[in-house]
Amino acid sequence: MIRVSADFAKEVKKRLGGETITNCYQCGTCTSSCPVARVTNRFNPRKLIVQSLRGKRDDVLTGEMIWLCCSCFNCQERCPQRVEIADLIYALRNIAISEGNVPNIYSEFVSALYSEGKLVKVAGFTEKQRENFGLPPLKKPDVEAIRAILAETSFGEVLKVLEGKE
Amino acid sequence: MKSYALFLGCTIPARQLNYEISARKALKALGIDLVDLDGMSCCAPPPIESVAVDASLAVSAYNICLAEEAGLDLLTICSGCFQSLARTNELLKRNSQLRKRVNQILSKIGKEFKGSIEVKHYLKVLHDEVGVEEVRRNVTKQLKNIKAAPFYGCHLLRPSELLKFDDPEKPRILDDLIEALGAKSIDYLDKLKCCGGLLRGYDDDLALELARDKVMKASKAGADCIVTVCPFCFINLDLGQIQIARKYNENYSLPIVHYPELLCLAMGVEAKELSPRSHRVKIDKLLEKMV
Amino acid sequence: MKVGVFISDCGGLVSKVLDIGDIEKYIRGIDGVKLVEVRDSFSSGEGLERIVRAFKERRIDRAVVTECSPKIAEIRILNRLKEEGVNPYLVEIVDLLGSCILPHRSWPDKAVEKAKVTLLAAVERAKLLEPIESRRFPIEKSALIIGGGLAGINAAIELIDTGFEVTLVEREPFIGGLAARMVRFFPTDDCALCVQAPIYELKGVTKTSRKGLYRSGVSELPGLNIYTNSRVVSVEGEPGNFTVTIEKKPRYVDETKCIGCGECTKVCPVEVPDLFNAKLKSRKAIYINAPNLYPPVYAIDETICKFKECAKCVEVCPTKAIDLDQKAETIKLRVGAIIVATGFEEFNPEVIKEYHYGEYPDVITQSELARMLDPFGPTGGIPIRPSTGEKAKKIVMIQCVGSRDRRYNRYCSGICCMIALKHADMIKKLDPESEVQICYIDIRTTGRMHEDYYERAREQGVIFVKGRPTEIVLNPDSGKPVVIVEDGLTGEILNLEADLVVLSTAFVPSSGSKELAEILGIEVAEDGFFKEYNSKLRPTETKIRGIYICGGATYPKDAPTTALHASSAALKAGKFLRSGEITKDLKVAVVNEELCGDCEFCPVVCPYGAITTVEKEGHVVARVSELRCEGCGICVGTCPKNAIELKHYTDDQILAQIRALATKLDPKEPVVLAICCAECGHCAIESSGIFLIEYPPNVRVMKVPCAGVLKVHHFLEAFNAGVDAIMVVGCKPEGCHYEYGSIKAAQKVAFTKTLLKALGIEPERIEMFQMVHIEGDRFAEAAKLMVERASSLGSIKEMIKI
Repeated sequence: MIRVSADFAKEVKKRLGGETITNCYQCGTCTSSCPVARVTNRFNPRKLIVQSLRGKRDDVLTGEMIWLCCSCFNCQERCPQRVEIADLIYALRNIAISEGNVPNIYSEFVSALYSEGKLVKVAGFTEKQRENFGLPPLKKPDVEAIRAILAETSFGEVLKVLEGKE
Repeated sequence: MKSYALFLGCTIPARQLNYEISARKALKALGIDLVDLDGMSCCAPPPIESVAVDASLAVSAYNICLAEEAGLDLLTICSGCFQSLARTNELLKRNSQLRKRVNQILSKIGKEFKGSIEVKHYLKVLHDEVGVEEVRRNVTKQLKNIKAAPFYGCHLLRPSELLKFDDPEKPRILDDLIEALGAKSIDYLDKLKCCGGLLRGYDDDLALELARDKVMKASKAGADCIVTVCPFCFINLDLGQIQIARKYNENYSLPIVHYPELLCLAMGVEAKELSPRSHRVKIDKLLEKMV
Repeated sequence: MKVGVFISDCGGLVSKVLDIGDIEKYIRGIDGVKLVEVRDSFSSGEGLERIVRAFKERRIDRAVVTECSPKIAEIRILNRLKEEGVNPYLVEIVDLLGSCILPHRSWPDKAVEKAKVTLLAAVERAKLLEPIESRRFPIEKSALIIGGGLAGINAAIELIDTGFEVTLVEREPFIGGLAARMVRFFPTDDCALCVQAPIYELKGVTKTSRKGLYRSGVSELPGLNIYTNSRVVSVEGEPGNFTVTIEKKPRYVDETKCIGCGECTKVCPVEVPDLFNAKLKSRKAIYINAPNLYPPVYAIDETICKFKECAKCVEVCPTKAIDLDQKAETIKLRVGAIIVATGFEEFNPEVIKEYHYGEYPDVITQSELARMLDPFGPTGGIPIRPSTGEKAKKIVMIQCVGSRDRRYNRYCSGICCMIALKHADMIKKLDPESEVQICYIDIRTTGRMHEDYYERAREQGVIFVKGRPTEIVLNPDSGKPVVIVEDGLTGEILNLEADLVVLSTAFVPSSGSKELAEILGIEVAEDGFFKEYNSKLRPTETKIRGIYICGGATYPKDAPTTALHASSAALKAGKFLRSGEITKDLKVAVVNEELCGDCEFCPVVCPYGAITTVEKEGHVVARVSELRCEGCGICVGTCPKNAIELKHYTDDQILAQIRALATKLDPKEPVVLAICCAECGHCAIESSGIFLIEYPPNVRVMKVPCAGVLKVHHFLEAFNAGVDAIMVVGCKPEGCHYEYGSIKAAQKVAFTKTLLKALGIEPERIEMFQMVHIEGDRFAEAAKLMVERASSLGSIKEMIKI
């Protein structure tokens, strides 16, 4: 039997970025705005929202749909009910990741930010090239400060989840 | 001469020297002074927001704090950095509860978001502060023969309510700045639609399909090049074309250039000074057409 | 002062619980009480006559009467006294059953004490009561109607039929409003311009006549005066006696001479796109919108006419009707009532840039489509592609453009679904081969026979796509608009290429509504439409007596609802004007000009615009319109100088009652004072008794007209007199009978809390409660809470000497 419940919507609504989920009246403006949905039916923001509103927590959090948003914000811009759809999808990703559902590329982002304070490492070759083109030497981020900040946020929890996975 | 704290971000200094060089040269020539501050980190863009929204806000706010301490407005080159920082700046200025929450985190390292500066993208500075006329006056080499397809990308424009960069449905800034160089800014179908760049790494095939759509539509409209402002659009459309050729057996050879590259060329900078080898799709044809 | 106290046993209900003898003894001991009587009932028969006689024989001059079901009993008692020439404001009615018995059956001893104190308070108040006079205000028996659309015309017909003179003002050169453009109306599918002919006996007019505006004969109704091209620029005076200034722009054509032959138009050299016809054709500088409109005479568009440089029309006019020297006129009128019938207009969808309205010529609105579907219209009734002039065979409609959209208008405009269905039906009837696709979010067909249109559309093969399109793009190859929409029922994204895209736009208030509201001193709501006095029960009244609103001016409406609304407004206005005078008891606010000066708070807070300021001896003082004042007392509660008082609820009267209610007959028991408004607040308290929900008798109740009348010093005085805790019970803020009274009271309670804190007294001794009648259980809960709180905090006497 299929169970329908508003519990998951309530959970999402409490999260940063998820506040506007119940504004949705399923008009589908988001889906027709979406460049990804236009090329594949693997992603459909309207359906993602209705699944969340119906309480299909597992489907939403373990499925691939939440990862296929390209963060272009076109849906958010045009939504007549001011549902902050892109932000809502971040909120859903946050929940999925905190529960251990972490796509590989995101584990890489997490470790890069934590270890380097930046997402991309500058290769030695590039540093030389920079010099050749007369670019100033790169200033370094304060990794310690970044780590101290991250420890105060839910990022800290994510680190633990990832450690547990390894 | 107005000074800005430069926010370089992660990708540009590591992967797109063509962008950094041209942007620094062009802005300097037009009287914008860029200050490289110590300690600037990652802007905490969508990949980090996807992991932890609160972490993204806090790291983003941390960078803003550094500029606040220096008493300088922040200037970004990358559109992704612009979106993260400008959104955070605006959100924290508007929402006192959120500001309180973020400041509590920042207090652990002795920082506080005050909301005393602006975050700007250099295109806006060129358009509004330097002025289209001044840009035009500095052009020594009119790009008369060039039909350029402007591509704003997403993160300059949206969410417009927070970014307030330009009209999100009918932006003009990049078009105006292209035309200031003597080139023709052309219209093409789905001009404002995303290139799919951020899907790279999660689903490369999908990212490529979106890039292909973009390149195809710009080509069909007769573009000599696509003008970008975002490093992720650049990668997806430039490197993407090599992959499109392989996967779909379609060869567009449509040069992808960042706006400041065009600007430098129009101001008479030699192409070889601008790290032309950063481009995977050769830009020789484009350079020839400029003569 | 000689006070008589009349205690009704309510057929034995009271004595069943309370020891009436004990109460009587206590009352007899109160200073000023000259007469005490106990009977079965005082609301009719001998009981009531005894009160009358006591007054007439001058044995008493003030009275306190206790009765059960006090509202009805109160009305009977007071009416009878009035008949006998006794001023009813000298009598205080107490509901002993509802306030002291029903809610306290479990504590008969304590209930007796509460009854004693309640009566003591009533006596103390009665001693200070003053007679209130009733005054008659003469009224001008005529009305002004602003707006000459369907609503205004209907209201005018009704009012004239009822026997009043009406002046109708329309700002356009022709009356008819939106209806004039809409071709057909649902649910009858007959001509939009058709109105019910006025019912008066005349050859050629029958009761069943329904005709086009011009042919209906409306304009010839005796007592109707129509000003077109005119605006109301100011309204002064009082309800019943408004002085209205109307500015009539020159038409440059003498309406009495023009015969509508059209010779002038033929020679006029100036041509502009015809806005009335959606720019689908052009018109001349001298023009008429359509031949069947009223007035059936030409008008000159002064923004484009070359006047004397050209004057060709003057030469050819066979009746010499054209007068290029005509000047604007100012007309002053006196009317008793005003009806606002300014309607609504289409939202301009240009701001939704992704739909490219105004940029792509083949994207139009429903009213523009209506012009195409008019057989006498610019395209002869055929929908066309404006870009090429070809017939449009494939039409896509988009619903909810700018409505149900938090970026523009949150509300559902209500009639756009039906307009789309009506037009789809017309198109399909015209050519069954043409395709119509409607993109919708929800289809709303809530009126009688409306669903028929939806059924018929499906039968005719109209395709309904459940989805709101994200954008309209131009196909670079075909040059046609393409609507991009997700079909929510299949999950597919469709590219609907069309010859013509029609936007079912929101409907918004007519431009200038806000300015007109300011001129009239009435309000517009958040959505910009005129605000009704009460959206449930008084939909065509405003807060100002004598000013009414109807039709689309209050919210978008279809024709049947507009007609209904217009009749309602006409009835209300007619009722107001009927007797030629208003009789009113002057329980109004009164200014003490000695104390009043210069702050101007009260004019701002008065919900009725009853307070103005005048200059007196070098400073500004408030002046209350006795006619507009509704007696809420919010001004009193707001005045920082105690310079304004509400008759029948003066400071002395309120304080006397408070002090009496603070009386502690048992020093161990805490006293909680509940001050409620006479509206929802009192209903909530009463209902707890009526539904036999008990609350502690420590809670003593007093009533004021609106919680807004209360002041901080009333609360402080109550504490000073020994009240241990205070409950203020008002209406829900959104349902406050006097707009902001409940909100103002809550602010004062909050301020009192700060003061208490500063004085070292627990701020939780005072609380604001906002409730309605059906929340008697909530009141009982709150009362228990406050009594427990008062008990645990201990006696106030320990805390203060304020």
